[in-house]
Amino acid sequence: MTGDDLYTKLFRQALLIRRAEERIIELYPFDKIQSPVHLSIGQEAVAVGVCGALKPTDWIFGTYRSHALYLAKGGDLNLMFAELFGKVTGISEGKAGSMHLSFPEAGMMGSSAVVASSIPHAVGAAFAAKHKNTDQVNVAFFGDGALEEGVAHESLNFASLHQVPTIFVCEDNGLAAHSFVQARQAFDRLALLDSYNIPTQRINEGWDFEKIHKVMSVLVKEIREGSGPRYLEIKTMRAREHVGPGEDFDIGYRSRDDFDKWCIQDALVHDVETLSEVEGKIKEAIDAAVAFAEESPWPGEEQLLTDVI
Amino acid sequence: MARGRTTFDGCNLAMAAEILKYAEALFETMEGALDNSDRTFIIGQGADDHKGIFGTTVGLAEKYGANRVMDTPLAEEAITGISVGAALNGMYPIMTHIRADFMLLATNQIINLIAKYRYMFGGHYKVPLLIRAVVGRSWGQGAQHTQSLQSLFSHIPGLTVLMPADSSVILSAYPYIIHSYKAPVISFEHRLLYELEFEIDRQEILSTDNPLGSRLKCVGDDITIVATSIMVLESERAAAYLKDAGIECDVIDLNCISNLDTDMIIESVRKTGRLLIADTSWKAFGVSAEICRLVCETSPDILKSPVVTLGMAAAPCPTAKTLEDLYYPDLYDLCDAICKLVTGSGKHGIDLPEKKPMTDTYKHFRGPF
Repeated sequence: MTGDDLYTKLFRQALLIRRAEERIIELYPFDKIQSPVHLSIGQEAVAVGVCGALKPTDWIFGTYRSHALYLAKGGDLNLMFAELFGKVTGISEGKAGSMHLSFPEAGMMGSSAVVASSIPHAVGAAFAAKHKNTDQVNVAFFGDGALEEGVAHESLNFASLHQVPTIFVCEDNGLAAHSFVQARQAFDRLALLDSYNIPTQRINEGWDFEKIHKVMSVLVKEIREGSGPRYLEIKTMRAREHVGPGEDFDIGYRSRDDFDKWCIQDALVHDVETLSEVEGKIKEAIDAAVAFAEESPWPGEEQLLTDVI
Repeated sequence: MARGRTTFDGCNLAMAAEILKYAEALFETMEGALDNSDRTFIIGQGADDHKGIFGTTVGLAEKYGANRVMDTPLAEEAITGISVGAALNGMYPIMTHIRADFMLLATNQIINLIAKYRYMFGGHYKVPLLIRAVVGRSWGQGAQHTQSLQSLFSHIPGLTVLMPADSSVILSAYPYIIHSYKAPVISFEHRLLYELEFEIDRQEILSTDNPLGSRLKCVGDDITIVATSIMVLESERAAAYLKDAGIECDVIDLNCISNLDTDMIIESVRKTGRLLIADTSWKAFGVSAEICRLVCETSPDILKSPVVTLGMAAAPCPTAKTLEDLYYPDLYDLCDAICKLVTGSGKHGIDLPEKKPMTDTYKHFRGPF
């Protein structure tokens, strides 16, 4: 389909992520996917808004909540489902599962299940890009909890000190597993970034992929023109439990009201016209990906000890 | 024509064609790496200062630029992660830790990321890099400047762990690792070795088949000594000393701890029937334990006597000289252990060398740092 406007293009990508994850939820009780899943439902706009402003030659480094980043950056849907199913046709031959998706061809360079640990990778890749004098953009994705980790501070310091052209993207869902930010952070994140002399932007409308795309595009332009590091924080909403396919509003640590209010803004919920336009093709693609995963063979002895060193 | 001085090369006293200090060999390989590719950079605490990682990077920042030889914020984990990202993007990072103990701050990156980056993503990525970690000893460096952590890292699949025991290994292994190996390597360099002079043969170095391979340093029929790092030198000294008493030793330098040569060890023990392991670290769960595992799993029947192991006392390293001297085995202890094992008797009656700590032998080395 050609000639999509930006809105439709981003909408389609965001919906693909949501529907793919809803399919994961459907499949999960059947143990087809034997891997811990950290779903991005509610947070899709962050991934598509940011990645939509990048080229395939730009790199992103992500976290264990990696499905959205993978798909938004152009990762192949079939290879993702095969990976989740633990099949040898998966993007990483069944060695990555849900938490370590990557797709080097499109610049999704890895995702780590240890909080904050991929932040310095983006800085290092950007350091190399600067050394090689290319205009490649390198993005570190992380959650708000990651800024509590020492390595995040070490990375910000290095990036600012050496003016390494990294874009730090904080997905602020306000939760680290089940702890709210108030229980975790004695510091103000943006003030902290100010103290590192890294320019910051904050977007409170985390459902608005167009706005995210627009802000990100400016940052990308600045980086390509030779700027130092930039920080973008986007308020977002995790719809599901920290890990697993379920909702967890019944536990009592957070309320469904906030979520319902959020949904009112969510184009993937209320824009039924675009939904009906793009839904069919997305369902077909997901059906095909699941079938591909189902039919693919398992990895075995041959894979067990390859690529260790 | 032979140039140079008479030097000690372990089993023989010989006229050496060329003498090179361990630190000089390190400098040569660092300079060579920077010269060879502008994608190579060195990063570490003090890498660009006047001391330059004990002389091994001195002047290189001036010669190759501040972005090639970099001092670092005190941020071991981030620097290691930054090196991962740089390596993914085509650079070759060489990280330095003036004490291996400081590298523990980077264990998350080393164990959770570096060791797994290739496998965990199904072979899409390689993370070629070199981490140089210096093991301290003596002069009261104490509990946090002296740890020899080879077994900790060798335990982790995905890591290659080297313990270069002399200048020749540096000259053959480092260029190979940096230019050809395409995988992450941790090299534990022993501080006591830095100022020692070694005989080198450049022709031989150039023709080394496997620069990471274990090396048979002395040949004898009575006992197999498997050693690491500076204990290789001590084992060679012991072997030379005990020749007069008629004891002939096979001395094996493991060299690459994580890829050690099992066949070489088994073949030697099959010949001698006796095995002594002399490691620079603690004995439990370490190199000593691993060598025992290999022998027990493959050929437990080849041993004529129980295995003997030498290493640091099972405690954090103390600082008082008297305690340090008790903490580390010396040449006397090593010779005594060999004689007991070979004669099968605690009262072997063989004259032993003077009881003298290793650090008093290597006079070149004095603090402060």
